[in-house]
Amino acid sequence: MEHLYYLGTLISVWIIVALAANLVIGYTGMMAMGQAAYLGVGAYVAAGLNVLLGVNFHLALLAALLVSGAVAAATLWPLLRIGGFYFALATLGLNFVFFDIFHNLGPRVEGSEGLHGLKLPDLFAGSGARFATTAALAALCFLACRTIVGSPLGRALRAVRDRPDALAALGKDPRRYQMLIWSVAGALTGLAGGLYAATLFYIDPTLFTLDASILVLVYIGVGGLASTWGSVLGVVLLIVFNESLRYLGLPSQYVGPLQQALYGLLLIGLMIFRRRGLVGEYDFRE
Amino acid sequence: MLNLLQVFSTGLGLAGYYALVAVGFALIFATLRIFHVAHGTVFMTAGYAFFGLHRLAGLHIALAAACALAIAALVGLLIDKIIYGPVLKRGGGMFSVFIASLGVSLIFESGFLVWSKGVVSVARAELLDIFIVGDVVLRRFDFFILAIVALAYGALYLWLHRTSTGLAIRGLTDNSELSAIVGVEVAKTRNAIFLVASSLAGLAGVLTAYDTGMTPASGVQTLFIGVVAVILGGTRNILLGAIVGAAALGMLTAFAGYFFPEWISFSIFAMMIILIIFRPQGLLG
Amino acid sequence: MTSANNGLRIDGLAMNFGGVFVFDDVTIDIPPGKVTACIGPNGAGKTTIINIVCGVFAPRAGEIFVDGVKLAGVRPFDTVRHGLCRSFQDVRIFPFLTALENILVAMPGQSGENLLGLFTPGARAQERANREKARLLLQTVALEGAAGRPAGELPFGQQKLVSLLRAVATGARVLLLDEPAAGVEIDLIPRVVDLIRALAKAEGRATFLVEHNIDLVREVADHVCVLQGGRIIASGAAEHVLGDETVIREYLGRVYNA
Ligand SMILES: Nc1ncnc2c1ncn2[C@@H]1O[C@H](COP(=O)(O)OP(=O)(O)OP(=O)(O)O)[C@@H](O)[C@H]1O
Ligand SMILES: [Mg+2]
Repeated sequence: MEHLYYLGTLISVWIIVALAANLVIGYTGMMAMGQAAYLGVGAYVAAGLNVLLGVNFHLALLAALLVSGAVAAATLWPLLRIGGFYFALATLGLNFVFFDIFHNLGPRVEGSEGLHGLKLPDLFAGSGARFATTAALAALCFLACRTIVGSPLGRALRAVRDRPDALAALGKDPRRYQMLIWSVAGALTGLAGGLYAATLFYIDPTLFTLDASILVLVYIGVGGLASTWGSVLGVVLLIVFNESLRYLGLPSQYVGPLQQALYGLLLIGLMIFRRRGLVGEYDFRE
Repeated sequence: MLNLLQVFSTGLGLAGYYALVAVGFALIFATLRIFHVAHGTVFMTAGYAFFGLHRLAGLHIALAAACALAIAALVGLLIDKIIYGPVLKRGGGMFSVFIASLGVSLIFESGFLVWSKGVVSVARAELLDIFIVGDVVLRRFDFFILAIVALAYGALYLWLHRTSTGLAIRGLTDNSELSAIVGVEVAKTRNAIFLVASSLAGLAGVLTAYDTGMTPASGVQTLFIGVVAVILGGTRNILLGAIVGAAALGMLTAFAGYFFPEWISFSIFAMMIILIIFRPQGLLG
Repeated sequence: MTSANNGLRIDGLAMNFGGVFVFDDVTIDIPPGKVTACIGPNGAGKTTIINIVCGVFAPRAGEIFVDGVKLAGVRPFDTVRHGLCRSFQDVRIFPFLTALENILVAMPGQSGENLLGLFTPGARAQERANREKARLLLQTVALEGAAGRPAGELPFGQQKLVSLLRAVATGARVLLLDEPAAGVEIDLIPRVVDLIRALAKAEGRATFLVEHNIDLVREVADHVCVLQGGRIIASGAAEHVLGDETVIREYLGRVYNA
């Protein structure tokens, strides 16, 4: 049961990350390849405040949300002047830049590589409560994302994705929407980062590398771009599938590489056979 | 004080590896618009193949190196044929190929992970062969690397400038539609590009396996350094751009490694991002 | 005080792309309530005029006034704020938005486009009203049947109509239409004509029309200017210019012979 709760919590966390990534990649067409950076910022802010300064975890989560949103905005600002493929490349570089930042500047608990020892309030204390709270937050994020994509804002986002120049000609600055949604996604990812820290009890820089960013890409690629249900579906399917690998009885050192190889195969298969994923409304066009 | 020269010489040695990887990547990127992440995989494959053939199968070192090169060239070609071709044929674009390429490198990386988590290294005895000039310690092997790079670049130059295939390839970097009209046999040229670029990466892989050794993470690391070198140098002139970019990055890596070793990848990628923002055409472009 | 509402004035515009000369001393008045057409051969620089007015390129010389106020340093997304909106020769529809959404997205001042406004009840009411407006716009060109279809799947002519409505929906007082009839199926042309007429005559918008279809120009334009060889070779009342010897010889003759 414990383990099921843990899995449910993990799924909820990644659903939030995938929803956020889909807002920018699927709906707005911005090739975000560095979401792990914002996940890490959120995790470090929440865990750092809580472990080192004794800040209440609820507040720490809020701080994670706000700081990640601000960091996302600050990192996007200089990148907005570049377009297309180089944008993807630059966001990919964020993974490496932030890894060094976490690694060199991230606070750590004496004698370890990372942070542990979170003091969690009731809502997060037991594994059941933690699952319920995280799942509720994920559901809230889901509803928020659905509201956004179904609103005039969501419409404008899709217009930015399809023809930014035409949207500009209609008097609306595409960069305004890109900035807005990138910050929102950064904030949500940061919230997920805080929840991730609570789920794992322990964070260190190796959790927030290119691998994590690729994982996000796999989740929404499988589930489907520009689809909120797709974000959920991709995460649930892959985490459950991944989990089932553990019961194959393979020696434990093969499980990680096997997962990685399967993700690689999935990416290739998707790009060849179904670029829109399972229930996507849009595909990797470029 | 003394150390600046020392760092400089280390940087030159590194630049040699980077230049080999970067020029192949640039060749593929500039002509085919394929962002070949798996170029790093090809590099790594050569290193592991070299190790396997020489150390495990006991092949003569030169023979093992030659086989490793051939394997790398073949792997590069097959990646294009089996993966990129179908993605492009089904309407995928540059970004789709990029993601598929990431997939390829994930698969190979996992394979090497299963093989060995640690460093795989071929031989190290001769590497200690040093000589001292003033107060700078120089490795004979670094000169060997630079000589090989010079040879490879010379051959590449002749190939690009003296053969009809090379002419076609240079046409592709300028204007692919034009070359199509002029009648470049696209498929043949494409194969040549992948074979040559992959052999160069293979060469770097063999040398690296011999020198510092390979880990499953080497591929992605080296590839991204190559990418940054290409962004630095630009793709207007593939050979010159790659060598200038590689030299600059070799120095950057060596100096960063000396003064703030914890921030090497930060320096490299921060520089890449800044460069993309202010000079997407590269320093030379 | 008449300057309060005298439309768009393009004054002494000169342009070259690097060393390539495009035109010199182009002066055009585009008054409200009238259709001012610009004709000229391919490559004359008609689209370039629109691009300059909309801040895509900076001219080498010349000034642009809207209702007597000089435009300076405009960026493309500022144009609507200054009362201008353009359409594109190559349509540039939002292919994955429905026809209705294409028009909706153009409407100004939507509180539902802000993160906070989004969750207010006012935003919903506004959205409902906008939808109604967009539907009415589609009705004016008899396209209400296409409202729910992705615009990218519509026939080219219908896409062009939708793209015109999109510009209309911004509420701009000055419209710059780049070849609204080019490539449009013949049976849809009357709808384009009616729409342009209605915009100028009924709604009083200043309309700048770049068009190769001379019959259409004849039908809707009040004023015509001819851009050729890097300058305006003729300009004035439509029937006057289109009857002009040189224009017929230099331009129309060629079009008709082509
Ligand atoms: N961005 C640009 N850079 C360089 N030259 C350009 C650019 N845009 C247009 N030109 C050149 O300027 C000239 C005018 O082009 P423009 O598109 O304005 O012509 P046009 O009158 O609209 O022609 P058409 O009837 O074919 O649409 C052409 O010679 C064109 O090649
Ligand atoms: Mg034109």
